[in-house]
Amino acid sequence: MTVTVLFWSYFKDHTQCASTSLELPDGATLGDAHSAVIAQFPVLGDMRHSTLKAVGVDYQSEEFPLNDGDEISLFPPVQGG
Amino acid sequence: MKTQLTLTPDPIDELALVAEREMSDGMGAALVFHGVVRAEEDEATITAIDYEAFDDMACHQFELIFEEIDRQWPIESVRVVHRLGVVPVNEPSLWVEIIAPHRVETFEACQFLINTMKERVPIWKRPVGETSSSSPKAV
Repeated sequence: MTVTVLFWSYFKDHTQCASTSLELPDGATLGDAHSAVIAQFPVLGDMRHSTLKAVGVDYQSEEFPLNDGDEISLFPPVQGG
Repeated sequence: MKTQLTLTPDPIDELALVAEREMSDGMGAALVFHGVVRAEEDEATITAIDYEAFDDMACHQFELIFEEIDRQWPIESVRVVHRLGVVPVNEPSLWVEIIAPHRVETFEACQFLINTMKERVPIWKRPVGETSSSSPKAV
């Protein structure tokens, strides 16, 4: 399957891009996608545990099963207000 | 519960917001909160904060927070304005209005809204014009 990963806030600076595409095996989870992103952008590895993850507009857990065409967002802790 | 959410690059026009206020006869409390940009961020002096949002997700997460407020308190209306882009020091980046029959629920709902926003709503800030450390660290 192919999924799109969007980077937000200073994650865009670290990756020097706003998005990337990932090819993942069927049955892959959001955690698998996160690991694949870190393999592609090792700089994000240090922030793995503080990284917030969403599919579409909802937060999801590491175990969330992905589907072809999903749009994943990875970002640092939020800071509104 | 009526809700209104605005994410905008424009300055917050409080006079216009107050002029648009709708309160039914049974309401006895209108709480308004301003979140204002401070001149200090992480011990550095700054001139502004640049706010970025994942707009679609921010709107969705605010809607979820509004639904939780509606379940917990007898609130008539919630209005939220959050500025995006560069907001100079001393200007509000956040405006919240909550209308309810009594003050207790407005204060509680406002605290809940802002605390939950700071955990869940994908908005981020970058300091602008950092010039110096404003206070020495304790030794």
